[in-house]
Amino acid sequence: MDAFLDGFSVVTQPGNLLYCLIGVLIGMLIGVLPGLGPAATMAILLPIVVTVDPVAAVIMLAGIYYGAQYGGTITSVLLRLPGEASSVVTVFDGFALAKQGKAGTALGIAAIGSFVGATVSIVALSLTAPIVAGWALDFGPAEYAALALLGVLLIATIGSGHPVKALIAASVGLLLATVGRDSFNNSQRFTFDSLQLADGLDFVVVAMGLFGVGEILYNLEERHGKVHVPAAVANVWPSRTELRQAAPAIGRGSALGFFLGVLPGGGAVMASLAAYATEKRVSKTPERFGRGAIEGVAAPETANNAAATSSFIPLLTLGIPANASMGMLFAALLVLGITPGPQLLEERPDLFWGVVNSMYIGNLLLLVLSLPLVGIFVRILRVRPAILAPITALITILGVYTINNSVFDIFVMIVFGVLGYLMKKVGFEPGPMVLAFVLGALLENNVRRALLIFEGDPTGFVTRPISGTILALFVLAAVLPIVQAVRRRRTATPHPNTQREDSLR
Amino acid sequence: MRKQTLSLAAVATGAALALSACGGVSTTTGGDDGGAYPSGSVEMYVGADPGGSSDLISRQIAGGLSDELGETFSVLNRSGSNGALAAAEVQQAEPDGSIISIQNASLFAITPLAVAEDEVTSIDDFDVVGGVSRDDYVLVTNSENPWTSIDDLKGAGKKLTYGTTGVGTGAQLACALTYESGDIDSEAVPFDGGAPALTALLGNQVDTACLQTGEAIENIENGKLTALSVYAPERIDFLPDVPTATEQGLDVEVYQYRFMTTPKGTPQDVKDTIWEGMQATFETEDYQAFNEQNSLTPLEVPGDEVVEMLESDRERYASLVEEYGIDLGDAS
Repeated sequence: MDAFLDGFSVVTQPGNLLYCLIGVLIGMLIGVLPGLGPAATMAILLPIVVTVDPVAAVIMLAGIYYGAQYGGTITSVLLRLPGEASSVVTVFDGFALAKQGKAGTALGIAAIGSFVGATVSIVALSLTAPIVAGWALDFGPAEYAALALLGVLLIATIGSGHPVKALIAASVGLLLATVGRDSFNNSQRFTFDSLQLADGLDFVVVAMGLFGVGEILYNLEERHGKVHVPAAVANVWPSRTELRQAAPAIGRGSALGFFLGVLPGGGAVMASLAAYATEKRVSKTPERFGRGAIEGVAAPETANNAAATSSFIPLLTLGIPANASMGMLFAALLVLGITPGPQLLEERPDLFWGVVNSMYIGNLLLLVLSLPLVGIFVRILRVRPAILAPITALITILGVYTINNSVFDIFVMIVFGVLGYLMKKVGFEPGPMVLAFVLGALLENNVRRALLIFEGDPTGFVTRPISGTILALFVLAAVLPIVQAVRRRRTATPHPNTQREDSLR
Repeated sequence: MRKQTLSLAAVATGAALALSACGGVSTTTGGDDGGAYPSGSVEMYVGADPGGSSDLISRQIAGGLSDELGETFSVLNRSGSNGALAAAEVQQAEPDGSIISIQNASLFAITPLAVAEDEVTSIDDFDVVGGVSRDDYVLVTNSENPWTSIDDLKGAGKKLTYGTTGVGTGAQLACALTYESGDIDSEAVPFDGGAPALTALLGNQVDTACLQTGEAIENIENGKLTALSVYAPERIDFLPDVPTATEQGLDVEVYQYRFMTTPKGTPQDVKDTIWEGMQATFETEDYQAFNEQNSLTPLEVPGDEVVEMLESDRERYASLVEEYGIDLGDAS
């Protein structure tokens, strides 16, 4: 407890406060810039931060990471370009709200949700870091496979388009995930003997193409010469009704985000996705989703911030980075001469609690900053597409190049941009395709890994408690809509068996 | 009028955005204008993602070279195919020292055992300036398991799984050779790099794993993992109590090492300047502390010695793999 309080005295030193502020500002800015993610930014800044005091440096880098989660929302809502993979689902309702002239409300609710989610997650982190880390280790290949399978199913239920079209897009995404050298027997799959494709397609490049370039092209055709969204942004403070509507979503998003963020690998992405799907499921009016439901913005934005915060748990307690950004933070710690791992809490309590407590301050700064700054970002909306499109295209191309320093990636992105444009023209959503693409590799590799461990016996998937539970949820999620559909039909045409149906359920 | 103001605002915003994006792009002026090397900033390609030991070593050396030689040496990550993509960048570059790279031995000595003939990167396409450091592999198990040596594994009485850091890596080769030459029933489980393999081992999802020392040492020291063997020619300073595989009766010596390369045909004076800068860096306390921190053993030998090591290691690995019928290209 003393160490916890000492952590606050570490953060409130003027120098550390300043680095916290710089970090969250940079984070928000790069979150707004499509393509330049927090991992790339940390990589660029790494040579500079090593000259700073370690605690201040880590506070700043952490600020970049969670600040980017706030910034990513802004482009999702205003431009339909998810700044981060974890803001993909925010696009569906956020952009719909923007088209209705409620961009301010969407951004306001996202900022509030982000703040609440992050705060809940930090409190939980402070209390449970050591306990939860032990639990996360019980996730083996079988559990990851089951979780990915559940994710693929959830994909089919999100998206505003036709469910069958969503399934087709998801299937194509799964197929795209097979491109590259097989990581078990090294055989080439769909690589056309190109070394560039040997490691498969880069998720970020594909997503930037489908969402970014595709959208730029589509917009140019649709609204050539017209203003993107003509309405001025009204009050960013949501109304009382909207707050009441969003509150349960924010609550559920916080809890879900915290738990999914702890899992190594894709925590924030899966959290936002799961939170969106959950809201759609529990909603009495699921048809509003994709057409500007406020919960559709609140839930994923809350969840991804909660997950971004809780993904510090495996890094700080076990030295295991949960995602690319945590990997960079891991690198930064090593460069600073600190080995993240189980001993960190004992050896450097000032650093551990300093960083954790800086997140309270940082999120407060972000909340205070993001609401007034929204007005500035919103002005981008008033720019005509003919001007905006080349600028965003240029930034996207620069951004995609900086990820891998690869010219090949620029072409891959453009190819997927054209594909995304064509998909939109014929009514396919690119979202399910991108998400299935991510989960496809996770699913395949972990199923095969698990089968190697089980010596080829597939019953291992159901006999292990956690994977068994996830698979049970999977069956439930798959069967429930069918049961509901049947029930709805039964109630529509009164039937003597209705009573029994109810008791069965 | 109003429209024009808005357009201006747009241009201004766009310019600001573009400028910030430009922060991520390095520019190089090259070093071939006749002056003393380096006459401009130098790009150092690294064939791995940020954060891994290859990346950290490159960054540490880049920092040292910048200090010693007065120009900026910047690190560019070009990951993929075990480093083959970064190697290709250097191979195609002008041989003037403006594009150089610290490369991994595994790409030249081990990867050829796992990939098709036409994908093999040959050391003959590069000039080797000099060695940097050696990174050793260690065989580890979760300390909940009763085993403390390779002999214990022989008596485990079940098929053992071993996690590796991927197909065609030194970690896979070390583990495969241990189990095959020790005649222990086993199954390889490849992971995407060291961190996921370590996680799986900590959760006891796999029975054993071969990892780089730097990745495992933290958890060996705190007792969560038991080190069963190292694969160096002699015991390593960071794990003095852990016997080598050779000591335990198995003829398995596998290690990773890194060395500075330039494009083929780089002038000797350029290579000399780089080597002098590197040697000065090796002398700094900062660099020595870095090696200590990351469990790296210095291998600061001239380029021709590195080439000899690569040739002999490649032949040795190839004959061992043949002797025990191991197919690195097929883990399952």
